[in-house]
Amino acid sequence: MSRQAVASDAASLPGGTGARSARRVLARRTTRQVLAVQVLLIVVLLALWEEATRHSPANAFLFGAPSAIAFHLATMLRDGSVWTDLSVTGLETLAGFALGNLLGTAIGLALWFSRFVSRVLQPFILALGSIPIVALAPIVIIWFGTGFASKLAMATLSVVVVALVISYKGATGVDPDQINLMRSLGARRGQIFRLLVLPASLTDIFAGLKLTGGFALVGAIVGEFMSSSVGLGHAIFKAGSLYIISKVMAELSVTVVLALVLSAAVSRVERWLLPWRHDLQ
Amino acid sequence: MTNPAPAAANPAEAGSGPPLAKPDTSPPLANPDIGPPLAAWDIGKTFGAEDGRPVEIIRSISFSLARGEIVSIVGPSGCGKTTLLNMVCGLLAPTRGSVFWHGRELAGVPARAGYMLQKDLLFPWRTALQNILLGLQVKGLGRAARQARAEALLDRLGLAGFAQYYPSALSGGMRQRVALARTLAPDPEVLLLDEPFSALDFQTKLLIEQDTARLVRGEGRSLLLITHDVEEAVSLSDRVIVLSHRPCTVVAEHRIDLPGDRLDMIAARESPEFAQYVRRIWTELDIR
Ligand SMILES: Nc1ncnc2c1ncn2[C@@H]1O[C@H](COP(=O)(O)OP(=O)(O)OP(=O)(O)O)[C@@H](O)[C@H]1O
Ligand SMILES: [Mg+2]
Repeated sequence: MSRQAVASDAASLPGGTGARSARRVLARRTTRQVLAVQVLLIVVLLALWEEATRHSPANAFLFGAPSAIAFHLATMLRDGSVWTDLSVTGLETLAGFALGNLLGTAIGLALWFSRFVSRVLQPFILALGSIPIVALAPIVIIWFGTGFASKLAMATLSVVVVALVISYKGATGVDPDQINLMRSLGARRGQIFRLLVLPASLTDIFAGLKLTGGFALVGAIVGEFMSSSVGLGHAIFKAGSLYIISKVMAELSVTVVLALVLSAAVSRVERWLLPWRHDLQ
Repeated sequence: MTNPAPAAANPAEAGSGPPLAKPDTSPPLANPDIGPPLAAWDIGKTFGAEDGRPVEIIRSISFSLARGEIVSIVGPSGCGKTTLLNMVCGLLAPTRGSVFWHGRELAGVPARAGYMLQKDLLFPWRTALQNILLGLQVKGLGRAARQARAEALLDRLGLAGFAQYYPSALSGGMRQRVALARTLAPDPEVLLLDEPFSALDFQTKLLIEQDTARLVRGEGRSLLLITHDVEEAVSLSDRVIVLSHRPCTVVAEHRIDLPGDRLDMIAARESPEFAQYVRRIWTELDIR
């Protein structure tokens, strides 16, 4: 008898095969349309920009021009400087991103175990979080020198507090009824953490990862602005000091690509690690 | 008013120590015949006493649950039923009175209680099967034994084809079945259910009630069921306890005698006595 009920339940599951394939076709079509409009938008904007700067050297000087940006990009690719800068900045960003998130998430999750400690630490964490990291750059250079270490420190600092706060929110935001359920099953604190709190926090932790990828990049670039001899931040700073706006724009577009790659990688890992999130698949 | 399991409901005895329990030192599980599986003596709860604005939710409730018995508790919304269940289950400390499991005063969380709420509380990152395994995993049972038990339960609840589904791909009725299977998997002797079926449609509810009756009565478990649904209470239970508004006390207690084997919810609802019980309890509920 109960089996019948389940069978009738099954019939009303989301997306019987027919409905599902129809929906997928529709989704694919709208994706393509969105992409087409986006490309069109870029082309139109670039054309307008090019047109506006073509007849006015002042405009071209102040705002750069798409053709000049393309020229700089080609030069950077040809002499290989883009790869050096990209790999240096990319490494700084990635290392800072990893270190900051590791530290922040570990502390944020660990604070779940003690309400007392987290209440003691709360004002300090908030204070730390409200410091504009850019303002720390001069000190960081003094402490860590002008090489890789100072950029790593800047990227890490840009990430760590955000990661901490987000993972702590995730851990303490677990449904108290689910905690009660675990307790009723006789679970110890460590088991509640491992079987419930940690997996339940993953959604928030990944939201943090997506957010902090950009922060780490900003931290690394600010570090390079302050003092460096290589890296995207260094290249942007140099071109800016020489008033070569188009070169600044070219370097910026490379930076944007780096940011996009980083966020796409995080999304990919998230889809892989959270197979139960049907909204991501 | 009936009082079939007098152990804890007897003031004279309760004052002088755990009801029926001789001061022996054996672990409670080794001696399951001491007292009823579950009894509450004069328990009450006042929230907010610390910050000076105490609200008395439960004044005094005593009841007991015998082995193999199904007892329902009905009461107006917000009268403290969930609070009562949490106290019985050791998740919340009463401000007064005591809870006894097998005649021993409860310390911590009872070992063989199964707790289930209206929310299915399934973990979305676990498949149906893995959700059912949760309790066994917590108790450290071996992988093979766990798997076998869980699969048997899935079968009995008609979920056999859905072991590998994530909760987000299950319907409400199936999710609640999985939750029931998770509750039953560690083989609890007392089930504590808080409005477990109230979010389900009528047909699904009848079927799952029937499965519950079968799984409780057939295997010598006891069930304490909290519900809003008077008809559910009468059709399923041996006794129904009616609670008052806040501060909550016991208004009445009914022994339910219906013809039949009590495993068929539809037959139970068709008998003339059923309607009488329901009407009586409705008037006692004093819905404002
Ligand atoms: N931790 C708490 N602190 C203060 N008040 C609380 C707390 N928990 C519950 N209450 C109050 O106790 C009262 C009873 O709550 P409870 O959830 O036990 O009622 P209920 O009978 O289960 O209600 P329902 O029938 O709607 O499920 C409510 O008014 C609620 O606001
Ligand atoms: Mg309730």
